[in-house]
Amino acid sequence: MNKILLIIQREYLSRVKKKSFIVMTFLTPLLIAGIYGLIGYFSYKGIADSFDRIAVVNKNTTLDSKLSSNKNIAYTYLDENLEQAKQEIKSGKFDYILYLPEFNLDAPQGIEVFGSKQAGLSLSERISGDIENLIRTQKLKNSGISQTDLDKLKTDVSISVKKIAKEGKEEESSAGASMFIAFAAGILMFMFIMLYGVQVMRGIIEEKTSRIVEVMISSVKPFQLMMGKIIGIALVGLTQFMLWIVLTFAISTAAVSIFINKSDLKKMEQSSHVSAQMKKGAEISANTPGNPITDLQKSLSGLNIPKIIGVFIFFFLGGYLFYSALYAAIGSAVDSETETQQFMMPVMLPLLLGYALSLSVVNNDPYGSTAFWLSIIPFTSPIAMVVRIPYGVENWQLILSMVTLVLGFIATVWIASRIYRVGILMYGKKTTFKEMFKWFTYRN
Amino acid sequence: MLIVKDIVKQYASHRALDHVSLEVKQGKIFGLLGPNGAGKTSLIRIITQITAPDSGEVIFNGERLNSNHISQIGYLPEERGLYKKMEIGEQVLYLAKLKGLHTSEATKRIKYWFEKLDMQGWWHKKVEDLSKGMQQKVQFVATVLHQPELIILDEPFSGFDPVNADIIKNEILELNRQGSTFIFSTHRMESVEELCDDIALINQSKKILDGSVDEIKSAYKNNTYWLEYEGNHHMQSNDTFEILSSEEARDRKIIKLKLNPQRNINEVLSGLLPVVNIHRLQEVIPSMNEIFIEKVKGQSHE
Repeated sequence: MNKILLIIQREYLSRVKKKSFIVMTFLTPLLIAGIYGLIGYFSYKGIADSFDRIAVVNKNTTLDSKLSSNKNIAYTYLDENLEQAKQEIKSGKFDYILYLPEFNLDAPQGIEVFGSKQAGLSLSERISGDIENLIRTQKLKNSGISQTDLDKLKTDVSISVKKIAKEGKEEESSAGASMFIAFAAGILMFMFIMLYGVQVMRGIIEEKTSRIVEVMISSVKPFQLMMGKIIGIALVGLTQFMLWIVLTFAISTAAVSIFINKSDLKKMEQSSHVSAQMKKGAEISANTPGNPITDLQKSLSGLNIPKIIGVFIFFFLGGYLFYSALYAAIGSAVDSETETQQFMMPVMLPLLLGYALSLSVVNNDPYGSTAFWLSIIPFTSPIAMVVRIPYGVENWQLILSMVTLVLGFIATVWIASRIYRVGILMYGKKTTFKEMFKWFTYRN
Repeated sequence: MLIVKDIVKQYASHRALDHVSLEVKQGKIFGLLGPNGAGKTSLIRIITQITAPDSGEVIFNGERLNSNHISQIGYLPEERGLYKKMEIGEQVLYLAKLKGLHTSEATKRIKYWFEKLDMQGWWHKKVEDLSKGMQQKVQFVATVLHQPELIILDEPFSGFDPVNADIIKNEILELNRQGSTFIFSTHRMESVEELCDDIALINQSKKILDGSVDEIKSAYKNNTYWLEYEGNHHMQSNDTFEILSSEEARDRKIIKLKLNPQRNINEVLSGLLPVVNIHRLQEVIPSMNEIFIEKVKGQSHE
């Protein structure tokens, strides 16, 4: 037992002390936070940025009401003809001129947009959408529905998704946040198992090619050497994960408090103020999506984060042990990394399948039977379960999944150790699956 | 000290060891000889408890071999290496701790050995910065650091340059004088004659010969002598001896002769003494190499 601890210690320290580990650990949260920051910034900026001033030359008499300005377009009705309006463009007071000729409401034709630059696709779609709205309102009005009735028709609905927990207590949850967490956890799990599983394999190949393994094996049992390596690397993974959580949390908290509170909130106030002015009805400012980050934070508070992290760590360890044992067997059977290809495939395949299915099928239908089976079979359960867990999983399923995973990794560790003890002492032989099976059946 | 009793080891279709028995005596240097693939490494792996025999047993100091003995055995495998990225000192320390030494004790001994073998200042070097000969010194230190009673060296001199080989040889002899027992596994016979007290010869999974080097050699001598004399006398084969070769160098003659059965070398001498000046008479003792080749060839032709 003491020897296993020594091996774990070496495997752990030799990796944690590496420069690449330190760089990866500290850069990744920055990168993640940076990427999310950029996505948030640009999607926000994209909406806020596009703003066009449009002069409307209206020769149409069938429309009673006017196009109303919104946060992307300010419509100004001019009492001029088209030629005069074109002069206005040159002076730069407006970006575009919208020409509304006399037309039949059922088949409007001859609507034109002029501008010094060509109107983009999204702008022309917005304008046509606005005109369609206007015509629809006009038609409803023409068929005898009053403006007050029309106003009454408009109802804002915002759905608050609640899940009834076992105790009958309603839990606030947000499909968006669950999806976000599920997605992130699934990707992270896949990356972790791959990354650290392959590290186990590399470590074993290194020991084999440098021939240190013979020296080692005369003082420790092959099983101790294998488990020491697997556990040591698992601890490296956990360390990295913990540091990531802490760092990501610290950085994003700092980022939220710096950016959101000052600049963005001010901007938000301004823009909603402006749009409220432009439009007398308050509908848009009420509908304006809140700041996506604060929104996310609000919905995150509805999720049981400690439980999700706990389950993630359990399934990371379980899934990692399950797969890294297989990687260990592969590492022991080959002489160099280039020979690993043929054995990697069968190990990678279920993991990839689990990854793809979890992010598509399971994420869309977290309570379906596909989701259930994927999260019970140990080959796919680590990813499938962490994807399901933010949506809530019944306890018996969670426990069943944990039990099968534990049984699964005990089995793979046992199989791997039988192949490993023979494989590590075999040099210069091209290994086949048949050969590996033969090793498996060797007595001690 | 170490008794191997009737060991059998079977790998799928290949029998690596076929009822092998031998005994290594306390304080001796024991040579385990045999051509490549004879089963030497399989036997060593059983003694070092890397694998277990299918049948038979190994007795170490009167006890059946068990995991407590691991710390009393030092093993330098033929395929040996070190962690490339690890510092030398740290690495030897790690290996020593795996053999059950405490950090403080191990550090003290590493310093002692580093000084002895002129390796001061290597502690913080990495293996990849060392030459092959330097690496082998490190490996040797790691093998003997925990002061094992039994030290097993598999082809210890392969890859050593002559200077380092000599250094290591002297260290082996010194450790042997201090009471360590050695097992040498090799197919190179020169080193055996110089160092080994006893040997066992393994070929095609079977032990075909064992005993002390002197005994084996005398068992294999076949009454052949070198005779060198000065004088004008021509020797010819007769019923006492047979001349195998003869050559003349200046005024001397060098004869290789083989006594016929039941004859004595004195009979030859008594005939010669009155007529020539004898400069040298030497019994031809076969080298281990010759015995080895004779035995191995004889077996594979059976």
